[in-house]
Amino acid sequence: MSDVLARMAEAVIEGHVEVMEELTQEALDEGLTAKEILDQGLMPGMDHVGVEFKAGNMFVPEVLRSAKAMKESMKIVQPLLTSADIESKGRILIGTVKGDLHDIGKNLVGMMCEGAGFDVKDLGTDVDSDVFLGEIKSWEPHLIGMSALLTTTMRAMGDTVKALEEAGLRDRVKVMVGGAPVTQRFADEIGADGYAANAAAAADLARALIGRA
Amino acid sequence: MDSGLRTQCVPQYRLLTGSQIREIHRTSLEVLETIGVRVAHEEGARLLEGAGCRAKEGDVFQIPNWLVEEAIGSAPSRITIYSQEGEEAMRLGGRNIHFGLGTDLVTAYDLNTGEMRDSELRDVSNAARVADYCEDIDFVASMALPHDVPTNMMYVECVKAQLENSTKPVFFTAAGREDLSVILELAAAVSGGEKALAERPFLIHYSEPTAPLRHSRGALSKLFLCAERGIPICYTPGDMLGASTPITLAGGVVQANAEALSGIVLHQLKSKGAPIITGFALGPLDMKTGIFAYGAPEFRLTNSAFADLYHYYDLPIWSTVGTDAHALDEQAAMEHAIATLMAALDGSNLIHDAGYLGQGLLSNPATIVMSDEIISFVKRLLRGFEMDRERLAVDAIRRVGPGGDFLSDDHTYEHFRREQWQPKLLNRDDPDTWLSKGGKRYEEVLTDKTLEILATHEPRPLPRSVQDRLDEIVHRAEAELADLHFEA
Ligand code: B12
Repeated sequence: MSDVLARMAEAVIEGHVEVMEELTQEALDEGLTAKEILDQGLMPGMDHVGVEFKAGNMFVPEVLRSAKAMKESMKIVQPLLTSADIESKGRILIGTVKGDLHDIGKNLVGMMCEGAGFDVKDLGTDVDSDVFLGEIKSWEPHLIGMSALLTTTMRAMGDTVKALEEAGLRDRVKVMVGGAPVTQRFADEIGADGYAANAAAAADLARALIGRA
Repeated sequence: MDSGLRTQCVPQYRLLTGSQIREIHRTSLEVLETIGVRVAHEEGARLLEGAGCRAKEGDVFQIPNWLVEEAIGSAPSRITIYSQEGEEAMRLGGRNIHFGLGTDLVTAYDLNTGEMRDSELRDVSNAARVADYCEDIDFVASMALPHDVPTNMMYVECVKAQLENSTKPVFFTAAGREDLSVILELAAAVSGGEKALAERPFLIHYSEPTAPLRHSRGALSKLFLCAERGIPICYTPGDMLGASTPITLAGGVVQANAEALSGIVLHQLKSKGAPIITGFALGPLDMKTGIFAYGAPEFRLTNSAFADLYHYYDLPIWSTVGTDAHALDEQAAMEHAIATLMAALDGSNLIHDAGYLGQGLLSNPATIVMSDEIISFVKRLLRGFEMDRERLAVDAIRRVGPGGDFLSDDHTYEHFRREQWQPKLLNRDDPDTWLSKGGKRYEEVLTDKTLEILATHEPRPLPRSVQDRLDEIVHRAEAELADLHFEA
């Protein structure tokens, strides 16, 4: 691996937001492609961060600072990616379901998935299944992630899965669900593709369901 | 008595000085006046506009200082809560402390099978029955969120089960205005009418604003319904340091207080003088695991801060205890003991979540029995000791003199019952006796006691006519609420 890529990975791990622009420029000047920078500099850094977080050696704000460092570089790299590169990036649509206002867990899941390299679009809280459906049609995500923390609102996730089936969209998008009262059993019952108990597991699940970001 | 001196030596604790209290208060006012709160409710918006608040970008309202001061002034300083039988049960105000259960735990530890399973309605009944028995638990709450009843009926069924299994005041949640109305109907049936209920309220509704700085439609419609009917409401933010508020405790307290104060403003604008209990649950989002840490020391500190603030406002104060342990184990005992002691020292009035486990997700009725004992212990601590000539006991010391002992002295006989607290279940047996009784760990003792309470404690039965009325209301509500989607 080129030295600058190693330094980029290190800067991501350390969350050195302020050096990212310079390092990215240096990498480009060396003739590295945007894709190489992403795959061999930024992502190895973020992967390491993911492992360290799961091992309990890094804290949420540090992980998010690392993600911010990656984004800083992405500002320069993104426009240089080929449309095929961009097209290959996994898109995840997330939101808290209708009737529910709990958003911190969902936000964390979104941030972790972004850190894992996915393109994430967040619809906020109290999201109607029609709104999910509309966005699925227009933005064409590979995966949707629904969050619910209330037993009264959990069933709205099932409603969305049904609505997807009725609209003939079910096989175009994977569905993952989560939130404190949600269980694997519930996910199975409503026909979701996966469940995860926390944000790190959610990012792993996303990878497992739709492949590499 | 040969001396005029008679004092009570009691533990005293305050976290904030007067000037620190005023600094936090001023800063919360600054947040309300310059940043404002989002109000997603038409009537709420109208009330604020009518009172002279400026609307900033649509539904964000900036609240002037004087309006907040006015609401603090008009909200009652004391709220009396009655038992279901109409007797005075809790005086919320000053430094009076009352402990009780919490609401809506999704998972239950089954004492009979030793399994964790989805909560059921019988878990609500069992918690109410155990709490009915426990002398130091002053109010009940659902504890469990039953999965074996129709979803829209969960909160209604919870309250009914508590009415059937306890006479203590009820602290309860509701999904929306619709099921809240049904619950108030149930309560009125027990009180003997709506008017009797408002005169001698035995229930307190629990609704919450959404951090940061938002009042949802759902929460406000419940707040307003209670204000209208004179039903006491706890309108208290549940905020997470570093996630829904700043990470710094001072910043978290300022923001949560702004949310709580703006709730009082809305409530008092709707109905001046109506009963409201305030405070906030402000704990850390654990940065390693991402959970909301109920057992954390920072949670205890923010509780102390708002207790000092609301004593300064002279308004009734709500508070929280709890643990992050997923079993009734040493961690649960440690975190509950510390939280209970701190909340009592804070002088908070309505302290909920006694018996809670697992980060607000798990119940086990034996934990209620443990909390009952911790509360009793803590109340003894808070009573301190009296000091006068009789208790300074120079006469007794002279009588016994150097050498000898006090065991058979009259002074000992006269005073031992009041001076010495007796545990309910904690072990004080000598080692041999303890072993001969089976050498049980405290958790086993708690479990055995809880099973015994459940097998033997019979709460008062409701009069036939009332029971019939409750059944009828629930039956009717099942159809009414069946297809409803509650507003967020
Ligand atoms: C904070 C909080 C609130 C705040 C939320 C503020 C906000 N901005 O989000 C406020 C005060 C507004 C609130 C309101 C209410 N709450 Co609340 N709340 C909580 C609390 C204490 C913490 C939730 C939290 O944010 N945790 C931290 C985050 C990071 O964890 P998380 O959300 O679980 O998310 C993690 C995982 O679940 C998972 N995950 C989450 N989403 C997703 C999605 C996907 C796709 C995947 C894969 C994974 C995943 O990953 C996340 C990160 O690790 C919980 C108790 C608890 N321990 O869960 C109660 C709790 C969820 N609330 C509860 C209740 C009852 C309510 C109210 C009805 C109370 C009332 N009196 O009105 C209202 C309802 C309001 C509404 N309509 O939504 C109950 C729910 C019981 C139930 N199952 O129905 C709980 C369990 C507490 C309790 N036992 O009483 N609440």
